[in-house]
Amino acid sequence: MGFLITTLIFLVVGIIASLCVRICCNRGPSTNLLHLTLVITATICCWMMWAIVYIAQVNPLIVPILSETE
Amino acid sequence: MGESRGGGCCPPMDLMRSETMQLVQLIVPMESAHLTVSYLGDLGLVQFKDLNSEKSPFQRTYAAQIKRCGEMARKIRFFKDQMSKAGVLPKESLEKESDIDLDDVEVKLGELEAELVEINANNDKLQRSYNELMEYKLVLQKAGEFFSSAHRSATAQQREIESEDSQQAGDDLLESPLLQEEKSIDSSKQVKLGFLTGLVPREKSMVFERILFRATRGNIFIRQTVIEEPVIDPSSGEKAEKNVFVVFYSGERAKSKILKICEAFGANRYPFSEDLGKQAQMITEVSGRISELKTTIDAGLGHRDILLQTIGDKFELWNHKVRKEKAIYHTLNMLSLDVTKKCLVAEGWSPVFASNEIQDALQRAAVDSNSQVGSIFQVLRTKESPPTYFRTNKFTSAIQEIVDAYGVAKYQEANPGVFTIVTFPFLFAVMFGDWGHGICILLATMYLILREKKLSSQKLGDIMEMAFGGRYVILMMSLFSIYTGLIYNEFFSIPYPLFAPSAYDCRDASCSEATTIGLIKVRDTYPFGLDPVWHGTRSELPFLNSLKMKMSILLGVSQMNLGIIMSYFNARFFKSSVNIWFQFIPQMIFLNSLFGYLSVLIIIKWCTGSQADLYHVMIYMFLSPTDELGENQLFPHQKTVQLVLLFLALVSVPCMLLPKPFILKKQHEARHQGQSYAPLDETDESLHVETTGGSHGHEEFEFSEIFVHQLIHTIEFVLGAVSNTASYLRLWALSLAHSELSSVFYEKVLLLAWGYNNVLILILGIMVFIFATVGVLLVMETLSAFLHALRLHWVEFQNKFYEGDGYKFAPFTFIFTANEDE
Repeated sequence: MGFLITTLIFLVVGIIASLCVRICCNRGPSTNLLHLTLVITATICCWMMWAIVYIAQVNPLIVPILSETE
Repeated sequence: MGESRGGGCCPPMDLMRSETMQLVQLIVPMESAHLTVSYLGDLGLVQFKDLNSEKSPFQRTYAAQIKRCGEMARKIRFFKDQMSKAGVLPKESLEKESDIDLDDVEVKLGELEAELVEINANNDKLQRSYNELMEYKLVLQKAGEFFSSAHRSATAQQREIESEDSQQAGDDLLESPLLQEEKSIDSSKQVKLGFLTGLVPREKSMVFERILFRATRGNIFIRQTVIEEPVIDPSSGEKAEKNVFVVFYSGERAKSKILKICEAFGANRYPFSEDLGKQAQMITEVSGRISELKTTIDAGLGHRDILLQTIGDKFELWNHKVRKEKAIYHTLNMLSLDVTKKCLVAEGWSPVFASNEIQDALQRAAVDSNSQVGSIFQVLRTKESPPTYFRTNKFTSAIQEIVDAYGVAKYQEANPGVFTIVTFPFLFAVMFGDWGHGICILLATMYLILREKKLSSQKLGDIMEMAFGGRYVILMMSLFSIYTGLIYNEFFSIPYPLFAPSAYDCRDASCSEATTIGLIKVRDTYPFGLDPVWHGTRSELPFLNSLKMKMSILLGVSQMNLGIIMSYFNARFFKSSVNIWFQFIPQMIFLNSLFGYLSVLIIIKWCTGSQADLYHVMIYMFLSPTDELGENQLFPHQKTVQLVLLFLALVSVPCMLLPKPFILKKQHEARHQGQSYAPLDETDESLHVETTGGSHGHEEFEFSEIFVHQLIHTIEFVLGAVSNTASYLRLWALSLAHSELSSVFYEKVLLLAWGYNNVLILILGIMVFIFATVGVLLVMETLSAFLHALRLHWVEFQNKFYEGDGYKFAPFTFIFTANEDE
């Protein structure tokens, strides 16, 4: 559940970022496409990293064993 | 092969492919040539081809002009030298340079140089006389002391002798001092004594004395005194330690020997008279002349400084003008002279979008030079490969340079720079992940960016220059590092539960098994990033290593897939369907049926929490694919799926290797079947000018060469699939190193210092911590992660699609870098 919600959040942030970039630096169709590509790539990279770390912790095979000097 | 233009598949994107370039031919009448080249240089969008490459530099049309410019540049360098010696700085010029004329500048430079050289020569002469007079003065003083002390002792002795005389008659009166020659009693032994005074360098004084003694067989008397301060030697102009000497000799032969020895030793001689009155007179005279000379020299230096100031005012202006003219003449030398000798023909590469601007510049030049005819602008068709030109701004130019450092893109092939802008800082951040360190780097680079204007006009050192040039890349790196630092949950290696409490807790209220069996997961997964409980636990490394290794594989497979997809875009653009069917598709199938499958297995294992051993699964997929999987089964029918994937991978390898050479051969034959005769030149010529380098006619087609090339490509891809995937594990390795170093510095330096409860030790600990963090983590680790991220891009990403054997567009422009002094 948490996974889907956060994925949606990433999607929304990505869309907002693309819109912001389109609004503030609108410089012709080819440049706009470049900016869009960059924003999408960045969003996908960030989402992928978050998703990997999240999914790895959902069903852990190893649990934390505290060290003795605590 | 190269001419086919594509681009219909996807909408055009900035920076993805090189700008379209065209070969243009300009026909310029002689009188407007200079102005035309000057305006085109201002525009900076034409790369001229050298049409006179067979001629030597002396045979070219404008060789004389270049020599002229070279002379002027030499004079300017001379001025710069003189100005720096005198400590005068050239001022920033505020005038517009189009107002000055080259001939005027040349004349002015010649005059100023002559004047400066004359002033310098006079100055040297005056300085030399001044130094000689100073030496003379010293000689007069010191030698005067000898003589006066000798005189005193002589008179004292004389009085003594006279007082004894009454007692002892017939004493040897030859004991009287040498000076009083008129008192020599024995007239038969009357000898003419002469003396010489001068200065000799102190190192040579002993040798000087000895040689004089030997040369004159001991018949001289020499006295030396030391001069305390060093004296400026007139001939060399430097300070030297010297002694004053007086040599007494008898006879002409001795005198000539002594003179020769003095010359050999560089001992300067000065005339000296014994008469006390004359001595005093000489001293006053010399002192007078010295002070006169001093005022003259000062006046001379003042005059020179004024001259240098006037030069300094106009220096930058002249310098720029001369360099500009030299560049223009070099370019004019590249144009070829038409047969009628009335116009020059230029060929060059320029972007298509600049056609209007170029034609505009040509028109302006024709009008400004009052020529009767205008210039002609013509586009030529050629099979030569054009240079590659990307229009970058200050943000994208740094990344483009990084990509170009590996190889400049072939004309119109896909530019990896587009994705590198994001993926390079991202992969750096995966290896660097610590949001405390990220903030430090962000602050440093914000300083560089906010002071951009000021720093770009200054001259920085080499290292600062590189850091300043890459400031936007470093900005991106720091932003992504803050993000990955939040995900890894490391702030100078300290984790914080920023987004929710930790998901793990003790099994029961007493927490007795926390150090043996461990905690259990009681709440929902920590929502953003790594759970903060892990830091410092005993099982931290097994968990993190497994996580980071799997993450590296997933990121690596994604980036490699992106690379192969880029090759698909290239194939679409160049309309090469053989590349799509027999390169792109087999490559995708091979990579994804093996490592894509591994990625899917990783995700399934995480999602289901299965305990399957993925190493075992992958290895036995190859070794014994028909075996039962048993407890390593992750999903139903896994064995069948594995067999199918293995089969696909095996089939795709010959698909990559065999069809393409045969198809290329068929294509080549089809193209040249109906053409037994070589086609005529396609280029349109209205003048008797050849287009250089047009390789028309059919290319060579060596089947064996193509086959071997394809074989190498296939082997490289197949073996590379394994090695490149493993290479991405460096993401894990460096990130582990970073977090371990960071945690060592924190625990063993800062916490240790804190434990002593002593303020001094604490301050010392903080200093060491700061130096270690900045030196090792912020500088060394940054460079290391930068390098490895770069390698991942250059090798693992780009070898899937990039050819990089083009050449860069280098337009003729007047923007000189500071150290371009020829």
